Amino acid sequence: MIIKRFAVSAAAAVLALSGGLALASPAGAASCPSGEFCVWENANFGGQRANWSGDDGWWESWIADTDSSWANHGISGPGIKDHVRVYEDAYRGGDMTICLSPGQEVGYNGVANDRGDSHTWAMNC
Amino acid sequence: MRLLRALAVALFVLALSALGGCATPTGAGRDAPALHRTERARDDLIKAAQQVLVERCLAGRGLSSKADADADAGERREGGRDDAADRRLQGALFGRGRTELSVTLATGYTVRAHTDGCLAAAQRELYGDERRWFRAEVVVNNLRAEARLRLKDDPDHRAAHGRWLHCVTLDHGPRPERPAPAVVARCDRESGLDEVRARLEPALLNQVRAERRDQLTTYRQLRTRALHRAADLYAERTVPENREKGSTPS
Repeated sequence: MIIKRFAVSAAAAVLALSGGLALASPAGAASCPSGEFCVWENANFGGQRANWSGDDGWWESWIADTDSSWANHGISGPGIKDHVRVYEDAYRGGDMTICLSPGQEVGYNGVANDRGDSHTWAMNC
Repeated sequence: MRLLRALAVALFVLALSALGGCATPTGAGRDAPALHRTERARDDLIKAAQQVLVERCLAGRGLSSKADADADAGERREGGRDDAADRRLQGALFGRGRTELSVTLATGYTVRAHTDGCLAAAQRELYGDERRWFRAEVVVNNLRAEARLRLKDDPDHRAAHGRWLHCVTLDHGPRPERPAPAVVARCDRESGLDEVRARLEPALLNQVRAERRDQLTTYRQLRTRALHRAADLYAERTVPENREKGSTPS
């Protein structure tokens, strides 16, 4: 656990450059910055949150294979990639486990829990 | 506000230009055959209309999503609004409190959404029945994921995936943090995973599509409805503007 917490702290510094990390409240609507895709380590949008406005071919170790809930807060417009495809392996490898349109979220999934490794934004699913 | 309206109109024009037609504003929604040229063009038209409706709704609440939508991906967070302002935007755009819409997929995911945000209001306007649209969209968007889940049951796929995992971890210990894309591509090829997927997936996808025929039909019907509504909205916006232009002294 200590190692994991250290990894989270280190990841926070890295994500400050490429993405985001925050401690989210599990209550109410998913708190995910507008324009971004968010993944939480716990069900119902609880625990540490990673968020991205772009693609990530291999999530940081603290969230890869520890993901439990997901929300797409992308903003739509013509020509804008606003759908998010989540994959179980790096660089869109393995199976696409879920595809979410803007405004859609998943609080938990027993099958896909702790399985995500990468995601990409797309025009559609 | 004028800038936003001009941008919205420009987006409509851009979307219609992409259709390659000289769409006539009046009655364009029902009569323009050019609307059906490409899937991308249909997407753009519906998204442009949705964007206008969303911005109109947000403006009524003193908000706009434009700062984020216009910024480059890398600039959104740094150049965007502060956390409190963004939380207000999130609530107004995507909805607040508990979600009202829910559908559980064959993959086990329960996808949810709100009905009280500006995005939901825009979709009600375009698709007519937001509950039917939500259900159909979620199911259709995840047909490939459903097919991929079935692919896992195939012994050839299981064996290839095992070889893939061995391939990407061979030189890096238990689990590489970030294997190079070239390594992943090589392992996709050498493990036979690419070949297995290419061989099995089309038939599985056809099978899933046949089983979800009702949702696919609903999806197409409601998208057609949204396309016509988007074209009508374009006409409603451009006709008054053209008249206004014609009467404005230069």
